[in-house]
Amino acid sequence: MAEAGANSLDVMRGRHDFPEITGRIGSIVLKGRLPRHFWTAFFLCFLLVLLFLYSIIYLISVGVGAYGINMPVVWGTMISNFVWWIGIGHAGTLISAVLLLLRQPWRASINRFAEAMTLFAVAMAGLFPILHLGRPWFFYWLLPLPNVHMHWPQWRSPLVWDFAAIATYATVSLLFWYMGLLPDLAVLRDRARSRAAQLFYGILALGWRGSAYHWARYRIVYFLLAALATPLVVSVHSIVSLDFTFAITPGYHSTIFPPYFVAGALLSGFAMVLTIAIPLRWAFSVEDLITLRHMDNAAKLMIAAGMVVAYGYVSEAFFAWYSGEPYERAMMVQRAIGPYAPLFWLMLSLNCGVLQLLWFKRIRRNMPLLFAIAVAINIGMWIERYIIVVTGPSRDYLPSAWGEQSLTWLDFGILFGSIGTFFALVFLFIRILPAITIFEVEELAEEEGKLR
Amino acid sequence: MSLYGLMAVFADPEALVAAARHMRERGYRRMDAFSPFPMNELDGILEIPKSRLPWVVLAGGIAGAALVYALIWYSVEVDYPINVGGRPLHSWPAFVVIAFEVGILGAAFAGFLGLLAANGLPRYHHPVFNAESFTYARGGRFYLLIEAADPKYRKGVTRGQLTRLGAETVEEVEA
Repeated sequence: MAEAGANSLDVMRGRHDFPEITGRIGSIVLKGRLPRHFWTAFFLCFLLVLLFLYSIIYLISVGVGAYGINMPVVWGTMISNFVWWIGIGHAGTLISAVLLLLRQPWRASINRFAEAMTLFAVAMAGLFPILHLGRPWFFYWLLPLPNVHMHWPQWRSPLVWDFAAIATYATVSLLFWYMGLLPDLAVLRDRARSRAAQLFYGILALGWRGSAYHWARYRIVYFLLAALATPLVVSVHSIVSLDFTFAITPGYHSTIFPPYFVAGALLSGFAMVLTIAIPLRWAFSVEDLITLRHMDNAAKLMIAAGMVVAYGYVSEAFFAWYSGEPYERAMMVQRAIGPYAPLFWLMLSLNCGVLQLLWFKRIRRNMPLLFAIAVAINIGMWIERYIIVVTGPSRDYLPSAWGEQSLTWLDFGILFGSIGTFFALVFLFIRILPAITIFEVEELAEEEGKLR
Repeated sequence: MSLYGLMAVFADPEALVAAARHMRERGYRRMDAFSPFPMNELDGILEIPKSRLPWVVLAGGIAGAALVYALIWYSVEVDYPINVGGRPLHSWPAFVVIAFEVGILGAAFAGFLGLLAANGLPRYHHPVFNAESFTYARGGRFYLLIEAADPKYRKGVTRGQLTRLGAETVEEVEA
């Protein structure tokens, strides 16, 4: 995995031709001869999928008391999992949409799996608010449907906004992803040998034939969808943060939350991009298409987002003190020395400490080390969400009612189950659809003059 | 079987652009080009009209936002007016959030469905698929199609012109 070399920072390395690019990317899907460790890893993920199913069934049949929440802390890991997953999704949209608008050529080979990552992360995220409900089977009450009670959702509640935001985000991400897939599905349709594969990719490709008239409209709409996704991604995580700030609970009620949450989302999202991309490029030997330049840029974006997050931590603490509000101050002190102090300091050391290693070029280009840092940031960001969710209610306005929540096996069963399900979906995606955008890589090879 | 047109295959994008330009200058109008990735130069040469899809997207966005805002307004003012914490029934700042989200949703659907409608997709039986040479299986092939319905089309002449422009093969495509 280790590749040195200072001049290897191109968006694409080596010389390519169209049949080679198409063949290499397409055959991962069509030949289906994936390395044994691919299936081993998929099997391990599948075990976690089973754990996830078991945990969900247990949770629904026993009730939400089965995981650690208890008065006064009734928001627990379901909410922190939700915020963590939705944040991971945002980096995918940033790569695919914002970098498209900024015409950054380095997005071309990683946007497809970044979008897939978004989609699966949002699918995971969407489960948690529902599991958090005492009676998950009534989640559709959030929709303005004429139900038996003849009443409407509370439109002034951020929880209802959240539902609208997540549903929109999932749908728009799916449309954007599918639209980007169309030309590549046409390639797979033409390459497929078996009748079943021809039918599968043929039907999905909708008869795409690459006409110049079609491409002209395609380009416009693709850019417009990217332009729509950009404000959407900012609004989604801002609305997620409003779930907290609209409450007067100490530690929740803070105006820094929307930008701080968006930056946190990007930090954890880019960490997840690296967590997936580093093994992916190594396992499928596509280091010349997903190059060190991509890894380097993602690491730089991580440190940029991480510094905004660090500013968020400082500002949170400062305004808790500056408010002069005894309960806000007590909450912040308790966060640092109270029952959750070990987690709080672990979070700071990961998100603010370990992150600083990325200032060094040598570390950014050392793949095993970068992978380890990315995993550490993923953990740090999960802890951050947990700290935010839990410490506020645990030190509320009524000191006689102060209390903590515990973490039970079910908290971890659902968290690791969702991680396993996410990766199982990523594996299935790599098996079924091209994980690297064929047509954009070809376009890039043409523009960069990297054709044989 | 009637003839749909002549399909010329080119090995690289520059050859396709050059050929399209030449055929255009010779007065051909009913042409289409096929490429594995978008090529901006072709828009001008084929005189592809400016798409009205941006207006469709805008309309979809406005329609989504307006419909949902109207629904919310109807629910709080007409159908079920209820005093929540002394706030005005029509508390618009809170309602704008959902209207914004649904506006984006409407715009995205309008864009995607509008693109499919404008491109006439899904369509699984287009005549170009009848051409033996037409495939994306090997990635990079660039195709120029001259329709038989073009007034300048003369079977032998057009074929000769395409061959002289460097086409690898020229094939008759049946409709």
